[in-house]
Amino acid sequence: MKILSVCGNGLGSSLILKMAVEKVLKSEDIKANVVVSDLGNAKGLDADYIVASPEIAERLKDHKATVIAIKNMMDKNEIKEKLISQINQ
Amino acid sequence: MLSEVLSKDKIIINPSVENWREAIKAAGNLLLADEIVTREYVQAMITSVEEKGPYIVIAPGIAIAHARPEDGVNDLGMSLAILEKPIKFGNKDNDPVKIVFSFSSPDNKRHLEVFQQLTTLLMRDNFVENISKATTPEEVLDYIFEK
Repeated sequence: MKILSVCGNGLGSSLILKMAVEKVLKSEDIKANVVVSDLGNAKGLDADYIVASPEIAERLKDHKATVIAIKNMMDKNEIKEKLISQINQ
Repeated sequence: MLSEVLSKDKIIINPSVENWREAIKAAGNLLLADEIVTREYVQAMITSVEEKGPYIVIAPGIAIAHARPEDGVNDLGMSLAILEKPIKFGNKDNDPVKIVFSFSSPDNKRHLEVFQQLTTLLMRDNFVENISKATTPEEVLDYIFEK
């Protein structure tokens, strides 16, 4: 399973979100490859899921991957409710 | 290591700021003072928000300002401004901002270890509330490094 974490630069917010997602995945015992990307490159990358802030997620809504908007990137519960629930479906 | 980059001279409490641009400058100028970044880099952190949006407000009350390695980075750096009055950055979910980090990385890898520690820190329960209790940079560091 591949998860893309996307922000404008692919350096800051997306890295923080990747690390937060990895912590939650680990606690749920789910294995996935989480990769960061900037918005421009994300459009051409394959993934099963994309996580990003709501404004970035909106700009990726045509992507083949399931796009998940995370408002509070530091909130384990929000990541669980939105991402883990999708993965477990 | 976060402790190697975030020293007490990289922390400012209650800087005099009126808007989000000044808030980013208040944090960024601490990196500029040590020539960790150039003046152009501090401006590029502001331009990045203007052009790409306020997604740097990653959680309620917390912004992480930065630009790109080629915008004028001399070294890995991180600084922190704790605002007295929270300020709106234009992020509808996570405004207003109380805690502004700024960081610089010479490439897309050097900051990975520091960010691991930063993520753990920001995921602490009641982070914004607790770090805001500090009245000096020393107290901020005591909270961050759990002394």
